[in-house]
Amino acid sequence: MIKVQSLHQTFLLGKKNNQTELNVLKDISFEVKKGDIAVITGRSGSGKSTLLNLIGGFMKPTHGRIFIDGTEVTSFSEGEFADFRLQHIGFIFQNFQLIPTMTAYENIELPLVLKGVAEKKREELTNQTLGRVGLIDYKNHYPSELSGGQQQRVSIARALVIEPPIILADEPTGSLDSETEKEILDFIQSLNQKYGITFVIITHDNEVASIGHQQIHLHDGEVLKGDIAI
Amino acid sequence: MNMKDRWRFVRRNMKRSKSRIFMTVLATAMGVTFLIVLASVGFGLHKSLAKDILESRSVTQLQIGGMEVDGKYQPITDKEIEELEKKDGMKAVTRRINLQQTPLFQLDQYEGSVQTVMAHFPSEIDAGLELSEGRLPEKENEIIVGHDFVKTLVSSEQQETEDMYGEDGMLKKEFQYDGEVIGKELKMTVMQTVDGEQKEHTIPLIITGITEKPARDWMMDQTVFISDSILKEVEAFTKTARGMITQPDMQGIEEPEGYDEVRGYAHNMEEVSDISEQLKDQGYLVYSAADELKSMDVVFTIAKAGLIFIGTIAIIIASIGIYNTMTMAVTERTPDIGIMKALGAHPKKIKQIFLLESGYIGILGAVVGIAVAYLISFLVNLFLPVIVENAFDEQLPEGFQFSAIPWSLIAISVAICLLVTIVSGLKPAKRATKIDVLKAMRREI
Repeated sequence: MIKVQSLHQTFLLGKKNNQTELNVLKDISFEVKKGDIAVITGRSGSGKSTLLNLIGGFMKPTHGRIFIDGTEVTSFSEGEFADFRLQHIGFIFQNFQLIPTMTAYENIELPLVLKGVAEKKREELTNQTLGRVGLIDYKNHYPSELSGGQQQRVSIARALVIEPPIILADEPTGSLDSETEKEILDFIQSLNQKYGITFVIITHDNEVASIGHQQIHLHDGEVLKGDIAI
Repeated sequence: MNMKDRWRFVRRNMKRSKSRIFMTVLATAMGVTFLIVLASVGFGLHKSLAKDILESRSVTQLQIGGMEVDGKYQPITDKEIEELEKKDGMKAVTRRINLQQTPLFQLDQYEGSVQTVMAHFPSEIDAGLELSEGRLPEKENEIIVGHDFVKTLVSSEQQETEDMYGEDGMLKKEFQYDGEVIGKELKMTVMQTVDGEQKEHTIPLIITGITEKPARDWMMDQTVFISDSILKEVEAFTKTARGMITQPDMQGIEEPEGYDEVRGYAHNMEEVSDISEQLKDQGYLVYSAADELKSMDVVFTIAKAGLIFIGTIAIIIASIGIYNTMTMAVTERTPDIGIMKALGAHPKKIKQIFLLESGYIGILGAVVGIAVAYLISFLVNLFLPVIVENAFDEQLPEGFQFSAIPWSLIAISVAICLLVTIVSGLKPAKRATKIDVLKAMRREI
């Protein structure tokens, strides 16, 4: 489903005439199978967020190639990647990244609006997804009127609504208490089992790492022990 | 993302900063109002003056003043008239000769002296001379009189006093001749001085018709139109051309030749320009309302373009406000733009949303501006003539418009407004597309 080949990422730090290179990712290669939950772990600064951002198309790699669902995405322009994301990838962010001026319903509906889905179909899909995350009663609430767990559910619903084959999650439980964390992890597992959605999750939390079928441990920009099957 | 959703986005975004958007729309509306009102003065004056020309003269008429041959003026005689009548597109050529004295006319007990003109009635009929009453002359002693001829006649039995005349200098209604005019005998008395002695000759004439009222209220037509044979009778009596009264110091003065007033009439307005060009090439001194309209159109087109340009500056100034508003909108919405891009919003869509927003401000400004401009234009046309008439004691022509707003001006203003507002929104919109997703979501921008 996701294939990463010899990925390198170098950042240039400092002022123009006095720049130093920082190798964040060094020759990373791995593969995530369809329907798996892959967990990328590592300490802060190990390059796990950079890796997820590269897979998500938010930045371009210095070297190496990434294939998603058989398509090489590293050669995509910004616009092409945007269109690809709308069809193939859902995102869950650590701090939810909901638009504060939109209700829960409108936030979930947003990817469908961007995709150009007809209004009636949008209404049906959004309500259905709201039901799946158990927030139908909160559809007209603004993010500020929801708890952290509810906001993350809205964020998950927004990722789910386009029915993507892959969901990338950046510390999905990082801002939640342990009880809500368990609830969210159970939900992710149930989605994986029910709908066969492939998850790539970044975490430094062992609880989260424990739900993965596959673990990629990064240390100073390198895969420490290769793919580790749990 | 369809157009309806884009509009929904734009409206939602605009609601977030209502007062700022209101001020920007207000500035744009003021610019549009200024542009339209300024240019409407050019359009209004053009319309009023063109109307004035079209009403005062026939648009198919050509005034032919004579010929210029080898730098010398040559009057138009029967030879040229014949040539003119053969021109393609020429319907009629009227010619008139002014009598060189003012005869005394008597109608019953009323009398008065008025200008007398020899007219060629067959060509006048072809040219479309309209009568308000009666018919055109058929016999040699038959004549027609101007619409206001009777107003000049005063009773010979009554002592003439100042009280008989109104403030406008015209004879009061109660002192005017009020009897029948058509079919009545009118005595024309001409004079000549022979050996220092004044001699008179009276010619009995029959009035067969009265001309139409002149197009303008303030115009008067008191002329008496006689035939060629009557003129010849006058000339036979005075022994001078055109009935000129001999003066002691007249020796050496050449007798006038040709016609005093020659007018050509084309079949339609389009043919006027062609005939006018041909005649000018042949050396005729030609002037037509179409020529006047043409040269006036050029002047007013330049003037209107100038006024529109000045008005556009006002909209450009307002566009600085739009640029500022849009730049602030992009800055404020950076995190939202980042989220939308992360979810899969194409940069083009982001750009379109911001361009639509600046365009929407432009449309709102244009709509408000047009409405206010119409109101100002209405008030200007209502009150300015009154102010001008009272302040300068000048009578403006009837229906005179200071300001006119045609559809073309509205279309030009809306196009300029939309163009300027969209251009001013281009840079902020482009900036929105360049926003880095990661920085935006981390609220680093």
